[in-house]
Amino acid sequence: MDLRWESFVYAILAFGILYWLLNRYAFGPLFSIMEKRREMIQEQMNSAEKNRAEADQFIEEQKQALQQARKEAYDIIEQARITSSKQADDIVQTARNESTRIKDEALQEIESEKNRAVAALKAQVSGLSVLIASKIIEKQVDEQSQKELVDQYLQNVGNKS
Amino acid sequence: MHEFPVLEVGGLHIEISTFLAITVSAIITFLLARLAVRNLSVENPSKLQNFMEWVVEFVQNTIASTMPLRRVKPFVALGLTLIMFIFISNLLGLPFGIVTETHSVNAALGVTQELLNEHGGAVELAWWKSPTADINVTAGLAVIVFVVVHFLGLKLNRKHYIKHYFQPYWFFAPLNLIETIAKPLTLALRLYANIFAGEVLIATILMLGIAGTPFMIVWQGFSIFVGAIQAFLFTILTMVYISQAAIHDENEQH
Repeated sequence: MDLRWESFVYAILAFGILYWLLNRYAFGPLFSIMEKRREMIQEQMNSAEKNRAEADQFIEEQKQALQQARKEAYDIIEQARITSSKQADDIVQTARNESTRIKDEALQEIESEKNRAVAALKAQVSGLSVLIASKIIEKQVDEQSQKELVDQYLQNVGNKS
Repeated sequence: MHEFPVLEVGGLHIEISTFLAITVSAIITFLLARLAVRNLSVENPSKLQNFMEWVVEFVQNTIASTMPLRRVKPFVALGLTLIMFIFISNLLGLPFGIVTETHSVNAALGVTQELLNEHGGAVELAWWKSPTADINVTAGLAVIVFVVVHFLGLKLNRKHYIKHYFQPYWFFAPLNLIETIAKPLTLALRLYANIFAGEVLIATILMLGIAGTPFMIVWQGFSIFVGAIQAFLFTILTMVYISQAAIHDENEQH
């Protein structure tokens, strides 16, 4: 093995040229691509993080909305219950009033009907009394016929015994 | 052992196998990187792109283990080029070798009469090897690292860089200088020795013929492992040296 400065110089030259060529045509583009990928991954991680935060926020909002809806539903039911019970009371009250009114009316009707009947009866009775009285008066006027009538009755009685 | 053919052009001694291997390694490295980034896509990367990104991240983590994370970026390309080029260089000599035998004197390839006489009339010429199995190549890489380290040290961290030569006391300066020289030296020698030893052993196992096949399988596998380890080691040591020289954090002790 000899020491030869030509080989020595050629090695240095070759390495220098190789370094320059690689830097210019291979490593430069490769490094930039790797840097780009690093940035891309960073970006994706950031966006994933952001998406997750947004999703969390949405879930929170949904939860609140659900809570709100539940509360509203409860309120509505409560409202309906109060309204309905009030309405039922009203109806019962109205019915009670109505029935009282009808009863009173009926009592009044009965009273007036009775009065009318009594009045009619009174009129009739007076008529009849007059009739009877006239009849009696008629008979007393005719003595003869009265005697005949009595006889007739007596005869009838005698026949039967 | 094989001789390596040396072409003499205008007073330059060009060792053909080394030049060929460096060129091929660089081309393979560049083609691989180019193929990996051919259809770049953010959402749907190809398999090769995925592999390349894994390498990038591996190098990034490696560098990040030597210096603060925010200082890593400018050195990733250097680390990547180092680890890819050295790893491919280390593997280059493993799968095959090209050896020719020559009996005649060929002055242009450095085959002289003395060499022929020395080898008994027939010289085996090796045309193919790992570029990192050549001390000149690893020295070149180490010198690049050396220059980068001290340039960055002076540029980014001048006060602490100069002060560290006189730590903990001024008379430690020679020791610190030796350390400064030793760093690139060990860097070059470690890589060269590992890969060269691997190739020597491969050549030795080849002499066993058919009987050497199981050893060859084992050693080839181990050489791939060594090649990967050495490439990684060279890269991380470079980053450690850069970190020591150029990166100074107030709350950190170097």
